[in-house]
Amino acid sequence: MSADAPALELDGVHSYYGESHVLRGVDLAVERGENVALVGRNGVGKTTTLRSILGLTPPREGSVRLDGVDVTGEETHDIARRGVGWVPEERRMFGHLSVEENLRVATRPDADTAAKVEEALDAFPALRDHRDRDAGDLSGGQQQMVAIARALVGDNDLLLVDEPSEGLAPQIVAEVVDALGTLADDVTLLLVEQNFPMAMDLTDRFYLLDHGEVVESGDSDAVSQDDEMIRRYLSA
Amino acid sequence: MIDLLTLAFVDVLIDLLQPGTIARIVLDALSKSALYVMIASGLSLIFGLMGVLNFAHGSLTMIGAYLGGAVMVVTVSAGMNGPARFVLFFLAIAATFGALTLLGSAVEVTLIRPIYDREPLFQILLTFGLVLVLDELARIVVELNGLQPRSKWQAAIGTAPVFLSNWYTVAGVSTRGLYLFEVLLGALVVAGIWAFLTRTRYGLYIRAGSEDPEMTRALGVDVRKAFTVVFGVGAGLAGVAGAVLMWDPRFGATVPLSVETLLVAFVVVIIGGLGSFRGTVVAAGIVGLTDALMTWLFQNHVAFPGLPEMVTFLVLVGVLIVRPQGLFGVAEVGGH
Repeated sequence: MSADAPALELDGVHSYYGESHVLRGVDLAVERGENVALVGRNGVGKTTTLRSILGLTPPREGSVRLDGVDVTGEETHDIARRGVGWVPEERRMFGHLSVEENLRVATRPDADTAAKVEEALDAFPALRDHRDRDAGDLSGGQQQMVAIARALVGDNDLLLVDEPSEGLAPQIVAEVVDALGTLADDVTLLLVEQNFPMAMDLTDRFYLLDHGEVVESGDSDAVSQDDEMIRRYLSA
Repeated sequence: MIDLLTLAFVDVLIDLLQPGTIARIVLDALSKSALYVMIASGLSLIFGLMGVLNFAHGSLTMIGAYLGGAVMVVTVSAGMNGPARFVLFFLAIAATFGALTLLGSAVEVTLIRPIYDREPLFQILLTFGLVLVLDELARIVVELNGLQPRSKWQAAIGTAPVFLSNWYTVAGVSTRGLYLFEVLLGALVVAGIWAFLTRTRYGLYIRAGSEDPEMTRALGVDVRKAFTVVFGVGAGLAGVAGAVLMWDPRFGATVPLSVETLLVAFVVVIIGGLGSFRGTVVAAGIVGLTDALMTWLFQNHVAFPGLPEMVTFLVLVGVLIVRPQGLFGVAEVGGH
């Protein structure tokens, strides 16, 4: 581990689904404590980038480094234990487990599980009344809260958040944005989001992905007003 | 004709409603359900977590029957007293569980793990191949020891501790000690698995992994290790069921026990819902009760060979028509 190395660094990552070449040499870096957005149209490889970081879709070329340590080829559970939390697209609750059990699965084996769960419920008080309910019975917004809390409860310092606003009503999206905004101060965040204004509001920098490559990057504040770029790369 | 049928039906009903009859059927149903839950729970756990239909499960039960018997034949001497046999019997059960757990773990690591990423057909072919190999090996070993593969192992049956072969009166009905032991052991197995799944961290991993193995891995859980543990424990439970069946006069150690128990296990887990332990427990109760009721009917009123098996399969068909995923099944389970 190197003290001045980025929290996350992708160097020329190529990933495939079968023979389909999805990522074509992705380079990006996220510094410790930084909040970075990964934006782009549907199907350009945003989710695959997160999956490649976690080893769920292992890169065939290039490298993934966490705090300067090359984790390419490591097992997913080993990468996760290095402090990487994942809030996946569509939330992926364990629907037949209670909210509390969803959180307990994600705690570290050596942690004080009960204390960690209470911390998570303190951070998301709306979940406290539902702790014994099956997660599958919750609303979409509540499930998103559980997904975020679950990614945090394992003492992770790098969060990979994939489309947190997807399928949620605007009012619920506002709550999710509040929650992410609060925790963004304490962790390193790589956010994949279709809602471009929301992504820019929550992050310091952005990477724009197109056809499996990073085609643009910069400060989120500057690009918010750049209508030409939005039109060129993000419009359907 | 209709009058005759009505009379016959009333006759059966009157007989059935006798207190002694009901108690006898319930006791028989409980002991059969206990056996079925022991046989099927390993298969259900393995499919629930791993999505692997282990066709070799019945072979593991058959090996457990011979292994349990072998431990007793080797260790029990003719003049041995009751308490010593009692202790050895439990040691035989424990040894069978340990040996089959190790065998199951070894099978998972060496044979099944390399093909997790292949189509499910590969796992079916592999475990079916294992059935052929294990059953043929058992046949060879049994014949080399001068036994008939299709006949019950009488020498081993004679080693049973007294409490298994004695008869006891429960609710006015005389029943074998073995049947009461089966009920007790079945209840302990259910309670043990339930507590393991709901009260331990590893049980939580297994339940989460059954729903979404990929998400579970992304939370830092080594799901593959859980696969090995579950496959091993599932095999161990199959072995324990076999070791009990060894002394049950309705079964006994034979090589075809492999196929007989596999069929029962499949019926139970399909009725209960593939991968649902709760479903397996409920389905074992349903199948045990159906079997006991039909056995009583066959023995007392309807001389129709194969009646219990036929009705059990009709229940299976009925459940599949009304609820194809089984009583407690979910649309998708398991995975790698």
